[in-house]
Amino acid sequence: MIRLQDVSKVYRTDRIETTALDAISVTIEDGAFVSIMGPSGCGKSTLLNVMGLLDAPTGGTVSLDGAPIRGYRDRDVAALRNAKVGFVFQSFHLIGDLTVADNVEIPLLYRTLGSAERKKRVAQALDRVGLTSRRHHFPTQLSGGQQQRVAIARAIVGQPKLLLADEPTGNLDSQMGDEIMAVLHELNSQGTTVVMVTHDPRLADTTHRTIRLFDGRQVQ
Amino acid sequence: MGSTLKIALKVLLRRKFFTFVSLFAVAFTLLVLLVSAAMLDEIFGPNGPEDRPDRTLVVLKAESSGKESRRTGWAGYRLLSRTLPDMPGVERSTIFAEPRQLTTYHEGSKITCTTRRTDAAFWKVFRFDFVEGGPYGAEDEAQALPVAVLNVSTRDRFFGPGSAVGKTLELDGRRLRVVGVVRDVPSLRFLTTADIWLPTSLSRSDAYKKELVGDFAGVMILAPGTRAPDVSAEFQRRLAAVPIDDSRFDTLTASAVPLFGAVASFFFFEQLDSKGPGVVIGVLWLMALLFMAIPALNLVNLNLSRILERASEIGVRKSFGATSSALVRQFLLENIILAILGGLHAAIAAAVVLALLNRSGLIPYSSLSLNFRVLGWGTLLTLVFGIVSGVLPAWRMSRLHPVGALQGRFE
Repeated sequence: MIRLQDVSKVYRTDRIETTALDAISVTIEDGAFVSIMGPSGCGKSTLLNVMGLLDAPTGGTVSLDGAPIRGYRDRDVAALRNAKVGFVFQSFHLIGDLTVADNVEIPLLYRTLGSAERKKRVAQALDRVGLTSRRHHFPTQLSGGQQQRVAIARAIVGQPKLLLADEPTGNLDSQMGDEIMAVLHELNSQGTTVVMVTHDPRLADTTHRTIRLFDGRQVQ
Repeated sequence: MGSTLKIALKVLLRRKFFTFVSLFAVAFTLLVLLVSAAMLDEIFGPNGPEDRPDRTLVVLKAESSGKESRRTGWAGYRLLSRTLPDMPGVERSTIFAEPRQLTTYHEGSKITCTTRRTDAAFWKVFRFDFVEGGPYGAEDEAQALPVAVLNVSTRDRFFGPGSAVGKTLELDGRRLRVVGVVRDVPSLRFLTTADIWLPTSLSRSDAYKKELVGDFAGVMILAPGTRAPDVSAEFQRRLAAVPIDDSRFDTLTASAVPLFGAVASFFFFEQLDSKGPGVVIGVLWLMALLFMAIPALNLVNLNLSRILERASEIGVRKSFGATSSALVRQFLLENIILAILGGLHAAIAAAVVLALLNRSGLIPYSSLSLNFRVLGWGTLLTLVFGIVSGVLPAWRMSRLHPVGALQGRFE
């Protein structure tokens, strides 16, 4: 599904140079559920962003579905993200002015799909996370767990093969966190590759494999 | 598109005070521009007696100068009568005076009116809308018959509504017989407007016939296919042959210029007199853009400050496949919607302002209105305003790095 070879990411300012990722080589197979763990600031989110083509590596190669990403042209990576990757963020990042259905529809707006088809897919995605009855609500009218489920529906509405979740339970209590994990596991069992950043070893233990980072280096 | 519109309206409603300030600035700016456009339409639009602007050349200003003296003003009758008649390539030409105010008494009431002396050809060069009677002819002018054409308002002031042809009125010590009544011509049509038109030959003295610089203008209607520069060049040749019999002066200058430039130089900048419509419209656009600049910059600033509150949305949209250009389109559209809302408010306010202006009599005989041309210009100005004030913020927003935007960092 996704392969990183000697990937490094260095942030440079006038005075200092910070290495966020150092020679990371990882292969994530189709259908895997992989967690990324490590202390704060070790580069977990950076690694996830590089995998999701939100950030370009300073060195090394990222390959998605066997095709290496070159150039990182805005139009090209935007199209790849739209077609193949779904994101779930710790703080949900739902747009407060839009209803649940409108939020979920966002990835489809950047495809050539008719309105009826978009509505159908939004309904299917909301059904998968059990929020059909909340489609006309606004994010602030939902609990944290429900908001994260909306975010998951948004991430999967475009039927991406890869779901990247950055601490998806980080802002939720344990019960809601478990609910979200159940949804992610269900998606994974249906064929979606999931990569999740987490601090929680209990959650990491439920995944197929864990990548451990320390100071930007892969330690396991 | 639906989501974009929804977002745009929500964004506007979210910050009501800022939206009010922005809308007020946009609406007020566009109101001023719409009222200005209505006035420009009254000045330049093809809706007055000057109905063939593309074939019209005007000789308006003249200057005679010498080593120690200089005289400038409208052209003199002698200059025009020596240069305009039988000009090759010209279908018709007319010589007429600038308007002059006269006061008279009619049945015990004091009436002040604007008069204009013209030749008979004036009525063929310009197309007036006669409601009764007709113009005076060459015979009336040759014999200096005391005849006059009135506009409807002046007829009503002298005689009340109803036919006035054949009736007489006292003006400047003469009793004039009304031969025709025309619809009012807005005072902004400075070449043709008047309350009363009368033959040039009715002047009290013949002194005007000797003047090179005076109070007359000449207008030529070119024959179809004639090039204006050729006629202007011939005019210059003829002008060079006009004898200057005043020893104080040795040089006489004047020019035959397109109607558009002549009108523009009268109302705006003298330098525009020899310019065609393209340059004049360009200058007017420049003035409009400069006027729009301050509120546009204000809106740019407001929009830039809103990047902070839109950062998460930008990050999300980019994460899910929005390209920078898609975001530019979205933010531009939002700004254009704001401008269109402002434009709608401005159009309503402009209709009220123009109606009040027409009713106030501040601009005599004005018929300012939001016709299709004015609304067309208004729409164009609105879109320009929306785009100009939206491009920079849209570009800045679209360039945000998705990761930075999601984290609230702006690099």
